[in-house]
Amino acid sequence: MKISSIFILSISSLFILACNSEPRKLPILGSREPVEKTVDGKTVVDTIYQTIPAFSFMNQDSAIINNDSLKNSIYVADFFFTSCPSICPIMSKNLLTVYEKYKGNPEVRFLSHTIDPKYDTIPVLKKYADKLGVKGTQWSFLLGSKDSVYLLAKNGYMSYSKENDSIPGGYEHSGYFLLVDKDKRIRGAYDGTDKDQVAQMSKDMDVLLSEYHPK
Amino acid sequence: MRKTIVSVSFLLLTAAIFFSACVNEDSIKYQRYYSDGLDVYKIHCQNCHMDDGKGLAGLIPPLTDTTFLKLNRKMLASYIVYGLEDTIKIHCIEYEGKMPAEKHLASIDLAKLLTYVTNSFGNKQGIFDVKEVEKNLNDYIKANN
Repeated sequence: MKISSIFILSISSLFILACNSEPRKLPILGSREPVEKTVDGKTVVDTIYQTIPAFSFMNQDSAIINNDSLKNSIYVADFFFTSCPSICPIMSKNLLTVYEKYKGNPEVRFLSHTIDPKYDTIPVLKKYADKLGVKGTQWSFLLGSKDSVYLLAKNGYMSYSKENDSIPGGYEHSGYFLLVDKDKRIRGAYDGTDKDQVAQMSKDMDVLLSEYHPK
Repeated sequence: MRKTIVSVSFLLLTAAIFFSACVNEDSIKYQRYYSDGLDVYKIHCQNCHMDDGKGLAGLIPPLTDTTFLKLNRKMLASYIVYGLEDTIKIHCIEYEGKMPAEKHLASIDLAKLLTYVTNSFGNKQGIFDVKEVEKNLNDYIKANN
């Protein structure tokens, strides 16, 4: 009697779960703030999510990339420098597989911010992109002043990067890929050196894209 | 009759064991170098050359060009210790990036590392001995002074 009731319970719960299977949604990361608003004479509480602050940088083709040029795409951001001997090559390799998947999709962009603007000039970034096999502006390698990039990393992406002479290459930075939606909110953070996490990011990007294409 | 067969086969077996033990001393050393070399590779090389030795697109050369590694066997130790700035051609593609120097590696680690690299990713060059590494490095210093 007992066993059969447990059995029935578990089966029915399975059914309920199956009925409730709403499409998976990615969480919105970062800090949030409740704001009271007056709508139609009533006070309602709205939530303001953390967003990436506005920026304007130049990419490997000397084109300006800013908030406006990104408004119709989700994007993956990371921090790197071309002469980096530690985690950057494996990150580039992993991001390359994701890039290949979304190649030509105008809704998906990739932004790699250099944290070594002194050495990574536009021609250096251009050569890096060429050698990596990246064409066009879908994957942009961005040059900005050191202060603005470091501030963006810290305040926008909750990531970090700084000069450190004691490590190979002279700069240290986190190896995270940040997935950002069309409203500039962070929807995922993945270890760019870990193949499995990058594969997860690739899946999550499909989930995020489906938010903009409801069935 | 049966006794002799048993004793002869016993003798043969013992001899075979002794013989294989002698032969295996070299292969044990090789295997030890190879597996230790993998650890050195993981720490000092894998970030750029990747776990499969395939490098990164046109930026970081792969270690799969068996001809290049064979022709430049004498130079390999110095490439690692002093880095490499020259443009090299691997599988008909030119690579001009700078390989950083790994000056702190001991000869024994270099020997193990090179044993691993020259016997992985399609290469099959056999063991890289410490003496060979030291000779190669001395020759390199002499040639560059």
